Amino acid sequence: MHISDGILTPEWCILWYVIAIAFAAVGVWQIKERARENLSYMPMLALVGSAVFIISVWHIPVPVTGSCSHPIGTPMSAIIVGPFATVILTMISLFFQAFLAHGGITTIGANTISMGIVGTFSGYLVYVGCRRADAPIWLAAGLAGFIGDILCYVTTALELALSINPNAVMSHWAIYAMGYIPTQLPLAVAEFIFTAAIVNYIATARPDLLSKIASIKGGVSSGR
Amino acid sequence: MVVITAIFCIGAYLGYISGAGMEGTDGVVEDHAAEIGNREAVELIPTIGIYGDMGEYVGFTLAGVVSGLIIGYLWTGIFFGRREDA
Repeated sequence: MHISDGILTPEWCILWYVIAIAFAAVGVWQIKERARENLSYMPMLALVGSAVFIISVWHIPVPVTGSCSHPIGTPMSAIIVGPFATVILTMISLFFQAFLAHGGITTIGANTISMGIVGTFSGYLVYVGCRRADAPIWLAAGLAGFIGDILCYVTTALELALSINPNAVMSHWAIYAMGYIPTQLPLAVAEFIFTAAIVNYIATARPDLLSKIASIKGGVSSGR
Repeated sequence: MVVITAIFCIGAYLGYISGAGMEGTDGVVEDHAAEIGNREAVELIPTIGIYGDMGEYVGFTLAGVVSGLIIGYLWTGIFFGRREDA
């Protein structure tokens, strides 16, 4: 989902940046608030940020399609440290990944929208919805990872279609999405597995971390 | 986690012995879109790509080491701190 510099038109780059910065501003405020309440929040943020950085740049081969791609890690991050904080982690990760020839500087906004906002919030909402429906934590987290991963790539396809093919957005959206999905489906299953495993592990070993950060109360994540 | 890592390693090996290019879908779809839109990817900042394959190995290794140190340093304190206190 890393779009390089020069692919999107300048007006779309600016628009995506503006939206991403609006979410990031809320993220900065939320991080400050939580760090004040909970001293372990900043180390946790650093740990999850490192994980997002590595997961989202880690190309995994998919022999069936003869290509490779990467999971995104942001749904897991959204559950552990919160969705708005994850937007900040995504922007930082994308900035450094640009120097690893993944993505670009002018497209940080667009890439943040797909990975840090759509991938994050869709995953988070799925998690909250599943928990409200009394689904077990591993299932809720796993589905969050799977759906967040797929929707991230669907959004990247839409960004490409909007910028490059403004007169035939829907058809090109489908074309670009079909380019991503065959390789991404097995990786979304992997994202399901590791998101479920990690969140379930934290909920079992240190439930106080989840209760402080993505508090689960009566089977429902409070969203704080 | 061991099982997941094993699955990734087996997948990578199968891809290697199959002789497939294993090109990243990010690049494939982006190149296709750029061709349709008559656009071209540019590098506005110096990246590890200018050092060729060795740059990628070194860059990703450094990124992995730094992130691994952060995760390793904080992991015990965060996930096992309570057990040590008890």
